[in-house]
Amino acid sequence: MATELGMPAFTNQSQEEEPVGRWGMVIDQDLCTGCQACVAACSMENNVPIVGEDDASYGRYMHWIRIERLWENTEYPEVKMTQFQPMLCQQCHNAPCEPVCPVYASVHSMSEDLNLQVYNRCVGTRYCGNNCPYQVRSFNWLDYQDERIHPELVSLHNHANPDVTVRRRGVMEKCTFCIQRIHKAEDKAKSEGREVEDGEFTTACAQACPANAITFGRLDDPESGINKLAAANRSRAGHALEELRTLPRITYLAGGV
Amino acid sequence: MSEKISRRDFLKLASVGAATTAVLTGCGPASRYVQREPYTKMPEYTYNGLSTYYATTCRECAAGCGLIVRTMQGRAIKVEGNPNHPVNLGKTCARGQVTLQGLYNPNRVRGPLKHKRGEALYNEKYEDVASNMKWEDAFQVVADALKSPAEVAFLMGTTSDHLFDFISDLATVTGVPAPIRFGAASMFETRATLSKAAEDLFGQATMPFFDIGNADLVLSFGANFLETWISPVAYNRAYAKMRRGNPKVRGYFVQFESRLSQTAAKADEWIPVPPGSEGQVALAIGRLVAEAKGVTIPGVFESVDVKGVASAIGANVETLENIAQHILAAANPIAVPGGAALGMSNGLSNAEAVLALNALFDNYGKPGGIFISPLSPNEDAYHRPASVQEMSDFIGQMKGGAIKTLFIHGVNPVFELPKSLGFEAALANVGTVISFATFPDETAVQADYVFPDHHGLESWGYQRATGSTLSVLSGAQPVVVPFYDTRSTVDVLIAAMGLTGGQASPFKDEVEFIQSKLANLISQADGSFTAPEINSFSAFFQQHGGWWKTTTDLASPSATDALGTSLEVSASEFAGQGEFFFVPFVSPTLGASGANIPWLQELGDPNTTVMWNTWVEINPHTAEELGIEDDDVVRIVSETGAVEASVYKYPGIRPDTIAMPFGQGHTAYGIYAQGRGVNPADVLGAHFNEAGDLAFAGIKVKVEKTGKKRELARMEGKLGVYGFIEEK
Repeated sequence: MATELGMPAFTNQSQEEEPVGRWGMVIDQDLCTGCQACVAACSMENNVPIVGEDDASYGRYMHWIRIERLWENTEYPEVKMTQFQPMLCQQCHNAPCEPVCPVYASVHSMSEDLNLQVYNRCVGTRYCGNNCPYQVRSFNWLDYQDERIHPELVSLHNHANPDVTVRRRGVMEKCTFCIQRIHKAEDKAKSEGREVEDGEFTTACAQACPANAITFGRLDDPESGINKLAAANRSRAGHALEELRTLPRITYLAGGV
Repeated sequence: MSEKISRRDFLKLASVGAATTAVLTGCGPASRYVQREPYTKMPEYTYNGLSTYYATTCRECAAGCGLIVRTMQGRAIKVEGNPNHPVNLGKTCARGQVTLQGLYNPNRVRGPLKHKRGEALYNEKYEDVASNMKWEDAFQVVADALKSPAEVAFLMGTTSDHLFDFISDLATVTGVPAPIRFGAASMFETRATLSKAAEDLFGQATMPFFDIGNADLVLSFGANFLETWISPVAYNRAYAKMRRGNPKVRGYFVQFESRLSQTAAKADEWIPVPPGSEGQVALAIGRLVAEAKGVTIPGVFESVDVKGVASAIGANVETLENIAQHILAAANPIAVPGGAALGMSNGLSNAEAVLALNALFDNYGKPGGIFISPLSPNEDAYHRPASVQEMSDFIGQMKGGAIKTLFIHGVNPVFELPKSLGFEAALANVGTVISFATFPDETAVQADYVFPDHHGLESWGYQRATGSTLSVLSGAQPVVVPFYDTRSTVDVLIAAMGLTGGQASPFKDEVEFIQSKLANLISQADGSFTAPEINSFSAFFQQHGGWWKTTTDLASPSATDALGTSLEVSASEFAGQGEFFFVPFVSPTLGASGANIPWLQELGDPNTTVMWNTWVEINPHTAEELGIEDDDVVRIVSETGAVEASVYKYPGIRPDTIAMPFGQGHTAYGIYAQGRGVNPADVLGAHFNEAGDLAFAGIKVKVEKTGKKRELARMEGKLGVYGFIEEK
């Protein structure tokens, strides 16, 4: 596929064997009703700023997760919309965003097998955003959270989550799989001398989803909920743009079938 | 400290040890409010990451979902669903998630104030006006009004059921009229039509419960149950169960609607029928099913002309026959009426035709069929909100000068009611308007006094939940101390009653009143918890987020002759001279009243991906004929008014129909809402169906070009923004 498109073939040079990953997600597009609860939940959990109508119009909105819908057929009356698809950072094992960062702000966590964004290293080259095939990185074009510029935010900032850094202008950001929740669960497990169990906690998006379309859990536990779910729906399962061999940690289950 | 643990690890572990995720409660009067501490005064024992969780009830709509709010140092940080609550089982919708942005909204009414009608409640920099009264003086104002009980009226929203009960009791004791409830959401849900249809067919004026979760075939006639309808979280769960709950059978879903709504987008088949034809289609399908079954055609389906219906909706007879085959193959089919199908001049017969179809499916009171929603534990009967016709009668009373003092709580009729009903003009004949608004909305601007109630997350209360198979009384408690100088409206009324010189309230405060309403639950069996006496009971009530029966109370509709009686579904009437059907719908993201919440504004509409503004959906073919492009501003002219909005060329709408979301177009309501978009209620006329609901989809409009262009912010790709022109 890649060579057909005139791109150099992507080879996995990082490791001989494909690692299974640690955290993963299964998203059932048959259940997603496009209700935006995940988007709202993510934004409230992760202090994602609003940008306002003008900047949103320029495509500068900061959503870490968005509901994509495309058209299969736009000819009335056979009109058909694609199934709603929540799109968020796929936490690729071979992440295209990582090697292009000149300042190592976009790095891989070997312990969690997640893509990290180190805000205080980021100098805003936006190379990672350009190289992300899923277009899920969002860039702080302006100081959207500065109370000196936006005095109306003073009272709204009361609900800011103290576990999550507030980002400033010139910094790239993206979905972290709610790393603050992962760490909290890991600390708790460590204090009790055990491993984090599957289903012990979940991400904000999965927690809110009214239709239970999003499931989060352990990839390295064959008995985990997400592995069972993916196995039970093997015929519908796939990865987004899997021909790029980015090894995403999110499995999509096709809808409408 | 062991040598192996670093200091950093020690701090982290210590914080985990202290952290519990127990849901707390305020048990006695001393702990009725938690304290909000400034970060500079962080107590020694708090660590980063240590949160306190409170169970309460969402007030963004009337569904009554249970929430658990994470708080820290007295600030509400995050809304999560209450996993044990029967309505939402730990889930929330987008509006529930961002209810915190209402609590901490930059524009709230900060304290009691007397104000000149029409004057803004904030300045041009959106800084709220300061309170200019003492609460003691406010009590006296309310008391003076209550001294002539026959001349006051209470207009309420659909949340805060405890306040409704308080005023209802007040009405029986002091002779004030019973409160009237209204909300734009219930107007678009056509609750009066649903309840009248249930009365005609089941002999009981009630809210039907549609067991979509256990059905394997859903025919929805305009019901937008995945968006804002009745209890969206509960119906989203039911939808998921219908699709994937049974590993062997994936439920099939057909939507009949003039536009491809968010709900229709999830359907396997979308049949674009003209507005108002839904009842005819239901009858035609009923006839085809009866024919295919080889049974005698029931009387109700006898007179329908299947071919005529098919040609009227622009479909083949095969399309309808195909659906009839699906019905025959299904074990538990269900047909659901709702939305624009009922908001028509023939809306009641449309609803009854769809309910008759269910009678043919023989699913009354069976899994996957139609039930009667259970009453809440302390509910005497189903009290539906007022229909718009009843509101119109009420406005007539206002105009006639019968109302000297109007109390308004939890509803914004100046914005929500069609302008043609003249609510705002009728306020001129009301001596004193007292608003209890939390936010500086349009109605508060027209009030003489604003005595702000707390935000829902600062309030005590309860809400009767619909949408569950169980009988649920959902409990609310404050999760934070009130942010501004607001007072609970029940407390204001209790204080005012003490000043009238007449009968004083038997209750010391709101909490005591709520306890009195819980008292009879203690002895009831089958409850989610029990307690020996009322103080423990109400503490558990707050801790659990409510009280509910553990066994289902769904009642089966009584057997009626729905099939035998003939039903005449007349053609819908359309007011106005235009060439296009006009379908207003509640914005799936904003809901009816979410325009002041910044994150709701920035959520893309699921279908069009438009943010922050109002759009007009026009079929691309129609747009081409009219010479209209995306983002062109058009004027929509109806018999009663005109609005201007940008065009979104939307493939999923009939070429003879245009649609517009309801929710924007505020002239007040704070920095995020004011001056943004337009309100489709401005073009709706006062036409009603047989049940008194507004025939909001029963109008025809003209579309006029204005020559202006205004870019819509949308998430989908938008060639043209940077000066590139889309090539054909």
